[in-house]
Amino acid sequence: MSREQLLDIGEKVEQHALKTGFDEVAVLVYSRESVMVKFANGEPSVVQSWVDRVAEVYLAKNGRILGTSAPVHDLSEVYRIIDSLLPIHERIPPSMLYAPLPEPEEPEPLPGLVDRNLLKAIEDPSPISEAVVEAANRYKVDTFAGMLQLAYEERCLVNSKGARMAEDSTSLKVYLRSFAGEGSGQWSFGSRRLDVRKIEEVAETASRLAFESRRQEDYPPGRTNVLLSPMVAGNLINYVAGMATASSVMMGFSIFMEKKPGDRVASEELTVLDDPRNPELPGSASFDDEGLRTFSKPIIERGTLRNILHNSKTASKMGGKSTGNAGIVFPRVWNISVHPGGYSFEELLSEMREGLIATNNWYTRLQNYVEGTFSTILRDAILVVKNGEIVGAARKLRIADSFPRILENVVALGKETYDMHWWEVETPTRTPYVLVRDVGTSKHTA
Amino acid sequence: MTWEYEDLVLKAVSHGEKLGASYVEARFHMVSGSGISARNGEIIGAEKSFSRGIAVRVIVDGSLGFASTSTLTLGDVQATVEKAYRRAKAHSRLQRRPIALSEERLGRATYEVPAKTRPEDVDFQEKCGYHQELWRNVSSATTQAKVATMTSFYSEGVEEKVVVSSDGAYVKSRIPRLSLGYNVVVSLPSRGVVQRFFSHAASGGYELIDKWNVHSYLPEDVKTFEKILVEAVKPPVDTPVDVVVGSEIVGLMVHESCGHPSEADRILGREAAQAGKSFIKPEMLGERIGSECATVIDDPTIPGSNGFYLYDDEGVPARPRYLYKNGVINEFLHNRWTAALFNTRSNAAARAMSHEGEPIIRMANTYFAPGDYTFDELVEDIKLGVYIKSYMEWNIDDERWSQRYGGLEAYLIENGELKGLVRNPVLELTTKTFYSSVDAADKNLEFYAGTCGKGEPMQGVPVWFGGPNVRVRGIKLRVIG
Repeated sequence: MSREQLLDIGEKVEQHALKTGFDEVAVLVYSRESVMVKFANGEPSVVQSWVDRVAEVYLAKNGRILGTSAPVHDLSEVYRIIDSLLPIHERIPPSMLYAPLPEPEEPEPLPGLVDRNLLKAIEDPSPISEAVVEAANRYKVDTFAGMLQLAYEERCLVNSKGARMAEDSTSLKVYLRSFAGEGSGQWSFGSRRLDVRKIEEVAETASRLAFESRRQEDYPPGRTNVLLSPMVAGNLINYVAGMATASSVMMGFSIFMEKKPGDRVASEELTVLDDPRNPELPGSASFDDEGLRTFSKPIIERGTLRNILHNSKTASKMGGKSTGNAGIVFPRVWNISVHPGGYSFEELLSEMREGLIATNNWYTRLQNYVEGTFSTILRDAILVVKNGEIVGAARKLRIADSFPRILENVVALGKETYDMHWWEVETPTRTPYVLVRDVGTSKHTA
Repeated sequence: MTWEYEDLVLKAVSHGEKLGASYVEARFHMVSGSGISARNGEIIGAEKSFSRGIAVRVIVDGSLGFASTSTLTLGDVQATVEKAYRRAKAHSRLQRRPIALSEERLGRATYEVPAKTRPEDVDFQEKCGYHQELWRNVSSATTQAKVATMTSFYSEGVEEKVVVSSDGAYVKSRIPRLSLGYNVVVSLPSRGVVQRFFSHAASGGYELIDKWNVHSYLPEDVKTFEKILVEAVKPPVDTPVDVVVGSEIVGLMVHESCGHPSEADRILGREAAQAGKSFIKPEMLGERIGSECATVIDDPTIPGSNGFYLYDDEGVPARPRYLYKNGVINEFLHNRWTAALFNTRSNAAARAMSHEGEPIIRMANTYFAPGDYTFDELVEDIKLGVYIKSYMEWNIDDERWSQRYGGLEAYLIENGELKGLVRNPVLELTTKTFYSSVDAADKNLEFYAGTCGKGEPMQGVPVWFGGPNVRVRGIKLRVIG
């Protein structure tokens, strides 16, 4: 679909909604085409393809907020929903979150969001699938599983404040999990560009970790130093960044509920950005859903909370300015970047001396979002470090601690960063290895 | 009753057959609904949305292709079939074991769940008023602590499907669902914070709101959360104790540690990089996993349930599945692919979330079979123990072996009587330990609603999970904090 066609759909929907009687309208139109090859037991299990064209519509009248999301195949159906929403506005009270849409800002385009090679590969991904199978089988592993996804997305915004914006982008997401003996290893990569060498590195790392953890021993739970791999750091920092959105703070899903910008919330070693202007990560965008220009900004800077992420509605409610993080109603995180430190991997091990390397995790759940108490399962290779060297692998452990304590106990970061994107790292995240001291670990008692 | 786009579904199947696919299945799938959200009784907004499209699966030279489109013209749907066909064929050279499906007696049926009170006939003013009144009742329930925030959300929706396959399935269904949930934060600065997130969901109409009757219990619950902050003491963690596990936790446990590991696709490694593998291996049917009390059933046919259906998304007729029976691993959850590999018949576990999802093996309504005890009888011979009624934090490893549940409302048991509240007890044990240590279950079967996540892309499907209160002997607890 061309940019003009998308804008045309957006304008038609906007005009219809205004004619119906709404005061304010914002229409986001998406056209997405993607292909995903899923692997299991060392071979493809299914090849999935999608074409999706949908509109998300924000509507306001007399301070009431309404919305819809619908496919744009038949616009008369979108119009019918909009018509049906108008009488509803009279039946609901004004929104506690309402603020007028802001004046749009001219976006500063991001270069390099579309990779022509990736576009071509969407049509026939089988050569890349072949490279994945070949790379994963280079190592001494029993088998592997995973997935490779290639996508092209066009996104267009039309709103009643005059915004007319469009952007298109490609993206790659790949993750693989290899198995060897008792062990397994998993790694991921997310990018705007097709990079076969990086895909092969994912396979190599997963297989190396599987091999290194093929024999495991019991490790006593308790407090220990843990080196979080970019997979694990990515997952935990996803939670932290999500809790920095104003909607999470307002609704009781945040460790920042009782905090304000300027408060110390982490170790001075830690700086975390919301990073929409990084064109290499798949969450990059030049404008937000309210038509404001995006910009990269620290959430935590050298241990201090710097920004709660706002759209104009939450900013108006809580005091402050939009940070260019608008989703259609609530703020969102675009990309996450964790500033690297100065340590090589070997220096991190040396700094840690004794402890564990957590290479992957899943199933992070909180007992309490305000206090930040949580546990997460360490999955795949848990490597045991003694005297600064990897000496073996541990069996089945959890991290059971609190986010404030983990953030406070960060002591060192690696100098190399990795671009992570998978099931458990939903917001694309660039992060190094992160060393945390005295992390609580736990294990079943019987 | 009219069925939109039925004709396109039929044409998609015949187009795939013409291309030469050995199997073609097409599904029109629409999920429509509306919702309201509120914070502290103040309405945030209302929405009305739908997703709709046609999903196609084909098998070509032993390779499985899936494609989906939301553009419902004949040309686009045929192009979608061709894409699924072409990409499956291109990958067939990498396929070592050709994909095949089991032979089944497939359904040709139409069914619909009625809503006694159609949600769309209920005024939005009444729906908004519910949130406002709830906040008034909840926010005034405490005396020392403060209800710092309460988010509440309501949604109503309808799922409509037309499933047709080249080997005879032809099933049309329409299921309305309702859900109502909340997140409450109760705070007493000197003692900390207690948080409760909970949601109700079921198939049916607006009559469910009265049945759930949140107004009648949530203010009382909030008083209990306040008491947890003020009065609760550390649970006994130094020695093993007997634990009465509340039905809310039992339901989650059977979902996580019986339902998931019994999924045959997981057992075969198809979800190994996502939701993981299973401690159950193909040859473990008939092996003992627990005591005689441990029977777990997954039943899609429970009327009014959140996971209700009569035919799965491959057109196979649904029936109850006895996953663990009197402590023995009895049956796996199958779709037609895994059934073929296990040389058995599908038990109709294939479901997709929307037109964007391939049908994969899912639970429906999973529950621990009730016993014949009363709750008092479970407790009466416990010298020292803990009754854990509800939870917040939980997780389980990807083989579904090591599991953990962070208790929210929990009581000490001494000499056969419930005593005071204990704070943040943690049940952290293996699947085998749990099912082997259960020695009694009471008669009180309760169901709880959830959205189960699995697949890539992630598909969340509506489920129930439930059970009675059960007693487990000699478990060492942990504590959070």
